Amino acid sequence: MLPSGWDVTTAVLLAIVAFPVSLVLTRFFMRVNARRGIVGIDVHKVSKPLIPEMCGVSIPFTLILLSAVYVLIGGGNSLMMLAFSLVVGSAAVVGALDDRLKMRGIYKPLLTLLCGLPIVALGLLYPNQVYNPTLQVPIFGVFHLPVIYPLAIPVAISVTSNTTNMLDPLNGTMAGGVSIVSAALLIGVLITNPAPSSVFLYSGLLFAALGFFYFNRYPSRAFAGNVGQLSVGAALGALAILSRTEIASIVAMFPNIQNSFFFLSKIKRFTEHRALTAKPTKLLDDGRLASSSDPKAPLTLVRTLLVGRPAKESEIVSTIFGLYLISAALALITMILMG
Amino acid sequence: MKGLNQRAVALQLMVFVSQWGLMIVGFGILALLVAPLRIQFDPSLGRYFDAAVKAMIALVLSISWLFIWDRQVRLYFYRKREEAAKPV
Repeated sequence: MLPSGWDVTTAVLLAIVAFPVSLVLTRFFMRVNARRGIVGIDVHKVSKPLIPEMCGVSIPFTLILLSAVYVLIGGGNSLMMLAFSLVVGSAAVVGALDDRLKMRGIYKPLLTLLCGLPIVALGLLYPNQVYNPTLQVPIFGVFHLPVIYPLAIPVAISVTSNTTNMLDPLNGTMAGGVSIVSAALLIGVLITNPAPSSVFLYSGLLFAALGFFYFNRYPSRAFAGNVGQLSVGAALGALAILSRTEIASIVAMFPNIQNSFFFLSKIKRFTEHRALTAKPTKLLDDGRLASSSDPKAPLTLVRTLLVGRPAKESEIVSTIFGLYLISAALALITMILMG
Repeated sequence: MKGLNQRAVALQLMVFVSQWGLMIVGFGILALLVAPLRIQFDPSLGRYFDAAVKAMIALVLSISWLFIWDRQVRLYFYRKREEAAKPV
């Protein structure tokens, strides 16, 4: 049965609540974390200000809270909401552990593999109600992957969460980028297959990310921390699977893919940015950023955008948003081609 | 738009559009040629062997896709720098 316009409208209206909730929660965590000394240095500013860390926890809190409310008012697919909440919650726990314990680089991808297991387990218990192992391909139709698809779910969650984690080097890049990606995928879902649960989750992610972005945008007053970055990335991965937007999500995340691939191809291991001996960018005395001349430095997206042209942090952030707009437009075209 | 590195955005647009096109072609190859393949020698494990072979083909295609991405970015952004770094 096709969803009625009222179901979709209710989903969007409830999801809009994510914006004020995320805004208030971020403000709350900014105060609490600053008081407890949970702060990080904004290394791309000459004055090196201390900014409250781990404030991105407001996003998974908002998403899980609103998903529960949506199920309680009888609006959504409860299995889908449960799977989504478990994935986002477990990724947030992994991120919080990393924020507090400063784990080695290899543990994050390994632990986030486990975050995809709730979708696999619920999918095995309730076949075809959580995910559909038939991949929709633009132009060329579909192909059925009964064995590979469930095995790929933990890998997909690990990849999306870690690639989102890696592309948050400058103020607001993660929250702004995820807002653009989720807005494009939301429009695509509304055009092609407006299932109320998918519409609710994509719009919830969009508004929760925007609420956090208000404080995280340049110049940042709050940092997301691994807790925010990993959970938001896991939310995108889970939504790709649950809403059947796998290929469009890959396209929308092209800036993340480029950043992570070039980082890993140069460094050849999973490591934390703080553990790098050769940094990809350097801060000039006038406050601009420049590409590193060290041949051992990783070829991150920010370094690539700075090659031969030092720039202000705000300019690089705008350029990254420009790239997200391109990839989001391509993702939308991909969804329209899939029909 | 003020503050936007328009040259970098234009070059990245070329990279993204070509990688997007290649990705769709790659999925087309998987959907039309690889997915219909039936490579079953042993009836009990044949399903898993079949899936493993197809996954390997998909992996090779995705590595090739990433390799082309790598070459494009190096060509557009790092060519001058790499040439300058070569000993005379």
